[in-house]
Amino acid sequence: MNTPAIEISDLWFAYDGVRVLEQVNLTLPAGDFLAVLGPNGGGKSTLLKLLLGLARPGGGSLRVLGQSPGDAGGRIGYLPQFTQVSASFPITVLGAVSLGLVRPGLDWFKGRAERRREREAALQALERVGLADHAGRRLSDLSGGQRQRAFIARAIVSGPELLLLDEPTASVDGRSRQELMALLAKLNRDMTIVMVSHDMSTVDGCVKSIACVNRSLHHHPDSRLTPEIFAEALGVDQVAGCPVELLAHGPVPHRVVFDHDNPDCCGGRHASNDDRGQTS
Amino acid sequence: MMEALSYDFFRNALMAGLLVSLICGVIGSLVVVNRIVFLAGGVAHASYGGVGLAFFLGLPVLPVTAGFSTLAALGMAWVTLSSRERADTVIGVLWAAGMALGIILLDLTPGYNSDLMSYLFGSILAVPDSDLWLMAWLSAGVLALVAVFSRGLLVMSFDVEFARSRGVPVRFLHFLLMGLTALCVVMVIRVVGLILVMALLTIPPFMAERRARSLPGMMLLAALLSAVFCVAGLYLSYALDLTCGATIIAVACVGFVISLAVPQRRDAATQAGAKGSAA
Repeated sequence: MNTPAIEISDLWFAYDGVRVLEQVNLTLPAGDFLAVLGPNGGGKSTLLKLLLGLARPGGGSLRVLGQSPGDAGGRIGYLPQFTQVSASFPITVLGAVSLGLVRPGLDWFKGRAERRREREAALQALERVGLADHAGRRLSDLSGGQRQRAFIARAIVSGPELLLLDEPTASVDGRSRQELMALLAKLNRDMTIVMVSHDMSTVDGCVKSIACVNRSLHHHPDSRLTPEIFAEALGVDQVAGCPVELLAHGPVPHRVVFDHDNPDCCGGRHASNDDRGQTS
Repeated sequence: MMEALSYDFFRNALMAGLLVSLICGVIGSLVVVNRIVFLAGGVAHASYGGVGLAFFLGLPVLPVTAGFSTLAALGMAWVTLSSRERADTVIGVLWAAGMALGIILLDLTPGYNSDLMSYLFGSILAVPDSDLWLMAWLSAGVLALVAVFSRGLLVMSFDVEFARSRGVPVRFLHFLLMGLTALCVVMVIRVVGLILVMALLTIPPFMAERRARSLPGMMLLAALLSAVFCVAGLYLSYALDLTCGATIIAVACVGFVISLAVPQRRDAATQAGAKGSAA
């Protein structure tokens, strides 16, 4: 467990001759929970593709779990963006989760014993995300938040050491988002998590460090949201560039909380962001 | 029906219809869930070039068309993978080019070919024993390939991005699926013709998709529906003296409308949950 989950040094990547990522350096210790923030087109998804071995870096070195990215495939769990899957696909929740056990290459026919093992692993993964009761339902009958949890079960069914999530909270409502984040915090006890997000409200208690990606990468080994992070994450030079996502309508008070279930982290450092009376 | 069954040609037609139903259920399901219906349409029309080529060279139609369509399908698969945003345009061009080639080659073939129309509207009543055997072998081959690669095809159809991340050879499977679609299309053309091939490839799988709980289940249900449409269509066309291919599709369309009218089974819990969490 002493090998860092991710080691990147002097990495760059170009797409059609345009450098999307440049001078990227990152050492992520095992057990971390990294939120990758940044504007659209800033290179967040490219970074995930590089980690998964789906794209080759232009230069620099990249190690995932101590291996080169293509080789670590079986030890990585992956949650693609929500929109990839057709809503009408005929599959049960259990069936979808067990697809997470597919092996690289042409995965041939399965014997009965192996199918039963897969079924049990899938049921266990569903148990962990709290969907055990829904195993036999059609995936399309689940709500958005439940479906996202089923996909997380698919990502963890193979028992990965590193979990890569691409916009896990996009297109789910506020309550489901909180439930998802609580679930991720629980999973983080067993695995390192890297979560790409453009939604700053996901950066709450469970995130341990933040990386802002906008062509370059700035790693903040601490989950405090500072004005600089806002500026980097939104891709503007100044905070004055209107971080609209932080404003709320009407008399709803809200604040940014660093950590709510880890007493070490919150002592006196709660920043409140009381915006009563403001309008966007 | 009994009277009709006493004719050889009708028995052959029935066998051809059942074979086509089986293959359409399996390949049509994959085509529908992978959203490559337009690609399948391109292959179907480009295959007309194969028909023209066979007449021009004086070779048997089914094998030549099968080879030609497979090549066209692999070409289209390559285009969709290499230049994604222009793919639909290029497929449109191949679609038209294949048909034009077929007609020009038929023009250049000496003698009048009465068989030409049969490839536009199908000629299920004129399927000879030799073609029936060839269709059976093609079906067996296609089904065996689908069974062998079933896991990869399922993972790819469900979520390409995820499949790629797990090291599933998505490129290879995409080419394979296009090749299988081409073989399927060639068989279906024999039965319902070029114009109606898309209907048989899409209507039964679409009806099955909403009710099945797994991809194999969808294939089975689509094949059964297809078989019902084929048998009912054949019988009606015999009893009412109508064109076979068109009658089969007409029956399928009626079934399609009925299936839209019958509400889908959905659990109430989902809808309650969706409403509750919106608050």
